[in-house]
Amino acid sequence: MSVADGSGYDRTGDLPMTSARIVSLIAEREIRSRLRDKGFIVSSIVILVLILGSVVFQVVIQSGSNKVSLGIAGGPQGVSEAIQEQAEAFGLEAEVTEYDNADAARRAVEDEEIDAAVIDAESVVVYESLDDTLGAVINGAVNGVAISDRPADAGVGAGILAPVSLDVTALQPAAEEADESGFVTFVAILLLYMLLIFFGQFIAQGVVEEKASRVIELLLAAVKPWQLLAGKIIGLGVLAFAQLLIICAAGLGGAIGFDLLAEPGQAIVAVVQVLGWFTLGFTFIAALFAASGALVSRQEDLQSILLPLTLLLVAAFFLAITAGQNPNGTLATVSSFVPPLSTMVMPVRVSAGSVPWWQIALAIALMLVAIVGVVRVGGRVYAGALLGKGSVSSSRRLLPGSAFRDRNVRDRPRRAHVYGDLKPGILVRHRSPLNGAYVLEGT
Amino acid sequence: MLEFDGLRKSYGDNLVLEDVTFRVEPGQMFGFCGANGAGKTTTMRIALGLARADAGEVRWQGQPIDLEVRRRIGYMPEERGLYPKMPVAAQLEYFARLHGMNPLAAKRSASELLDGMGLEDRGKDALEKLSLGNQQRVQLAAALVSNPDVLILDEPFSGLDPTGVDALAANLAERRSRGVPVLFSSHQLDLVERLCDAVGILAGGQIVASGTVDQLRQREADRQLRVVVADSDGNWAHNLDFAKVESDRSGEVLLHLDDPSRDQDVLSAAMAAGRVTQFGWRQPTLVEIFREAVAA
Repeated sequence: MSVADGSGYDRTGDLPMTSARIVSLIAEREIRSRLRDKGFIVSSIVILVLILGSVVFQVVIQSGSNKVSLGIAGGPQGVSEAIQEQAEAFGLEAEVTEYDNADAARRAVEDEEIDAAVIDAESVVVYESLDDTLGAVINGAVNGVAISDRPADAGVGAGILAPVSLDVTALQPAAEEADESGFVTFVAILLLYMLLIFFGQFIAQGVVEEKASRVIELLLAAVKPWQLLAGKIIGLGVLAFAQLLIICAAGLGGAIGFDLLAEPGQAIVAVVQVLGWFTLGFTFIAALFAASGALVSRQEDLQSILLPLTLLLVAAFFLAITAGQNPNGTLATVSSFVPPLSTMVMPVRVSAGSVPWWQIALAIALMLVAIVGVVRVGGRVYAGALLGKGSVSSSRRLLPGSAFRDRNVRDRPRRAHVYGDLKPGILVRHRSPLNGAYVLEGT
Repeated sequence: MLEFDGLRKSYGDNLVLEDVTFRVEPGQMFGFCGANGAGKTTTMRIALGLARADAGEVRWQGQPIDLEVRRRIGYMPEERGLYPKMPVAAQLEYFARLHGMNPLAAKRSASELLDGMGLEDRGKDALEKLSLGNQQRVQLAAALVSNPDVLILDEPFSGLDPTGVDALAANLAERRSRGVPVLFSSHQLDLVERLCDAVGILAGGQIVASGTVDQLRQREADRQLRVVVADSDGNWAHNLDFAKVESDRSGEVLLHLDDPSRDQDVLSAAMAAGRVTQFGWRQPTLVEIFREAVAA
């Protein structure tokens, strides 16, 4: 108990209120209240389902069931049966069709009626690429038949003949690896885009909620505006990052588990760089959305003020898709440096091909500069708008550089109001009928 | 001691505060009165750093109020506001912790306050599920939960039923007894008169009257002497040359004395006229003082 404190309350248990503690308290509240919010949970699950759904869709497309269909043209007797046996051994159900000649079998592959055609037991024709398992089945069958067909009197020497090696021809060879990490990146960019819009909206709504409910008065009596802004960005950022991580882990784990990826390492690199870009992009977007949210007082007004920002994200997303098709075109190259477009375009360029390291470094540096700028400007707008009347029309005077930014300019008392040397008691204040200004007159 | 020193504030051409100066002593309950739009809320918001004064400052224990001091202030804003969807107890704990309490103390303080307000079983409910009266109580609890060293409450009694008023008054009295200065604004002058040690009346951007209620009554220049003489008309009073009769109604006479020290002469005259059943200086009510001060 200390009299100097003015009250007899025990303050020994109080904690020093460092900025870090305040920011983490605010972030913690954001996280807790979002996790209690049904709207947030439902939307999160929808995103999760959408993303995992698209991965599962790919799984179904690529692996189908455990059925394979094969065509055979020419070659020794028994290849068909041998393939059935081998397929069974690999847990596949093989449907084998015999064709009269190689051309017919080739056409069947071309029309995608069958997965692969075995020609004369020595070459395989496929449409895009030969599945590893299917390759093993065919290989085993062809070699098995070759050994059993060998005449019994051929002698021991003939038995050690080199095994038949299959000659694989693809009708439409695909740049498989680029495609694969390209697909992973596309899914990741789509995810990034959805999460940025989703969490940007949540940040802006949270800001408006605090304004509309006037709880902001209580908050700003105890904390600084930038601490509130930082707490919100970090709190929702943690949630967004966790969500992204769960989706990526599930998607990537599923894809690797189903053996969808020939090069899991590349896919992991693609995901990791998207996570990095997400962190940068999120900070940028969150500060922008928070500042915009602070400019309105009602949730109804929010959508119109967020529209330009949403369009910016949409533009970034479409630029990223374009960049996937032409990663080194002028549009893709330029936009991969421009914040915040770079957030989505650069990862696409990187996974599509070789981007010089300095370009990546430059894009990151530009993004960091932009983040510093937007957090500072956004923080100022946020701080200024929170306690203002909060109408959209008043936003101009909150912008830095505006002549109205300095409160002292705006609030400076008119000269006519300074009566420091007069005795106030004998003065009556009333509005001048001429210009509405207050004037004082002696009674 | 909480000092408001020369606050000036204008919004555009509208001069709201011209020179607001008053002080709230430790352990003093200070009623802040004024007509609508007089600037009470602006004065309080300046103390909380929510508005910036064009001139003047607010000091606590001689130091200008900064964020560190503000965390020791319990504040109830005029425009009520808490998180509508946040559970009541969690909300109180949050504000206690933002003001520096450790998690355990915050929890204890929040649950004690809710108990005291009869809301002990509503702690897990979202605020918006409570009735408006109970939301008002939670708003008060948010101001009190960190056991602040200073209380600044804007219209804390508005919207409370008589039970709520009594409970809040008791809570504030307990805090006052610990030495906490309590500044609250109110339109309910009878309440202010009943609860406050000191009163400040804001009009025309200035404190036109401040001090204890007794002091304000003393300041009243036109005090009246009230005399009731049973079974008598007021003729005895009309004959006094040192007193002016201001009202004479069925034996009750209100007199104005140019020299208040001659009140005993009035008593003698009254006793000569009949049986004096009531005699005394009439205490002006705060309402009268308020009207007088605001009109001046």
